[in-house]
Amino acid sequence: MMKLAVLSESPADEAAIAILMEAVLGGHFKHVHPGLRARGWPSVEQVLPSIIRHLHFNTDADGLVVVVDSDDSVVHTAAHDAPGYFHPQCRMCRLRAVFRQTAKKFPPAHGRSRVLRGVGIAVPAVEAWYLCGLEEQVSEAAWAEGLATGRLPYTRAQLKFRVYGTDRPNLQLETQRAVEEVRRHRHDLRRLENDFPSFAALARDIRSWKKNS
Amino acid sequence: MIASVAFRNFKALRETSLVLAPFNLVIGPNGSGKTSLIQAIGQLRGLSRLPLREPVSDADRRPEAAEITFRFHPPFDGLEASLSCVSEAVCDFLQVTPLPRGEGVDDWAGLRARLLSMRSYRFDHEGIASTSALKDGGELAEDGANLAAVLAVLKKEHPQEFARLKAELLRIQPEYDEINLVERADHTVELGLRLAGSDDVVPADGLAQGTLYLMAILALAFDPAPPAIVCIEEIDRGIHPRRLREIRDLLYRLSYPASTGETRDPVQVITTTHSPYLLDLFRDHPEEVVITEKHGRTAHFTRLSDRADLSSLLENGSLGDLWFSGILGGVPDE
Repeated sequence: MMKLAVLSESPADEAAIAILMEAVLGGHFKHVHPGLRARGWPSVEQVLPSIIRHLHFNTDADGLVVVVDSDDSVVHTAAHDAPGYFHPQCRMCRLRAVFRQTAKKFPPAHGRSRVLRGVGIAVPAVEAWYLCGLEEQVSEAAWAEGLATGRLPYTRAQLKFRVYGTDRPNLQLETQRAVEEVRRHRHDLRRLENDFPSFAALARDIRSWKKNS
Repeated sequence: MIASVAFRNFKALRETSLVLAPFNLVIGPNGSGKTSLIQAIGQLRGLSRLPLREPVSDADRRPEAAEITFRFHPPFDGLEASLSCVSEAVCDFLQVTPLPRGEGVDDWAGLRARLLSMRSYRFDHEGIASTSALKDGGELAEDGANLAAVLAVLKKEHPQEFARLKAELLRIQPEYDEINLVERADHTVELGLRLAGSDDVVPADGLAQGTLYLMAILALAFDPAPPAIVCIEEIDRGIHPRRLREIRDLLYRLSYPASTGETRDPVQVITTTHSPYLLDLFRDHPEEVVITEKHGRTAHFTRLSDRADLSSLLENGSLGDLWFSGILGGVPDE
């Protein structure tokens, strides 16, 4: 069974990500060090090296999954995946760089050379993933086009309202709705991966762990 | 409820005004007017009990005297209330003036009833932990000292609300599985929490300070007839940073009852904090954050949402970090 840690912004996000990771892995995983939290961007980027270090030396975690909202930052595209390419305003590129730079300094520990990387960016916020398949107009492409044209198709507050019925959900409601919505995808992730390539990138990361294990 | 408040010569608030939202998180250095704002609202409540002052002509006003002027949301937006003060800190007269426009011009009684229900809290953990007389279990005291009685009365008279309060407490603090309220022969009530999976009860004076503050906030959030306005000083006191989300949610429950399916009137909340972690939770609602600034002996208010460049600043720092850095204001002079 894979052993993985999840770094998220809230217990609601963590619960949803755990379900999605099980769907990607096709089974249960051992959750190492539950409750790892960051206080949103850019705190994630700041705290990530220390978390990678901790997991590498102090735990037997196989990998670490990090999911952050893109907010208004540049959306990751296939062009960013070219060897040696790095877009300084793309959160996917930045978090991948943190993994790369942090892990390359470490000696092997706990029988593995590094903690494997799983980076997902929810564009523009995780609520968009929750609406996938329910609202046709909500997709990563729609958001990217909105950024390019200066006419955003929706706001983050609108996404929250559509998912929770309020833009001030309490944590319980947030968790309940997050779990309800990601459970729709757990048997078939193709729609989520198609509409949200930055989720597909995370899924590819995780699947590559299985191949390498 | 209160739409705006304007200060003149009141302590450090020499000439400033503030538009109030349903929820207001006030941040700023010590002595910058956070508590003065809450005191002013408290003085409005106190003077609402007394007969109104006869109208004073502009010619009779002393320009150097402190004055605080309140305006209200509908259905009372046709009235203006002004406190005249004998010193920089003590106001002794309330004058209510009809405005040319707005509702409730003749309904001072209705507005007064709402103002009298305003409550200001500065919780004291030793008080909260104390045994209290059952007869005092009406509304929560300003220091929370009658919490045990308030919970006992809630349990008796509003068992459904008590059950919801308990469920929320036990969700946040799963190490407990029961709220223990013991009525003694002398009609006092003792509060304790039972440790999950055991018969052991931790008495209130053995509970963590943060747990006691949380229970007091829960008592407010689940009050079936809450005050129209609630002011709470240092809402983050004793609370772990990871629990601040729950504290914010409980306050939102008061201010935005529809967000939790409640049908009662919203409660206007004014609370202060020095916690950058709590401030982080208002990234999506900067309109709810009030910054108090003090330059020399003079303080004034600004709204975080007035910063046109806020979204670009948030690209490179959390709200709490930006506040600490000083670029948002609301930090002490050094």
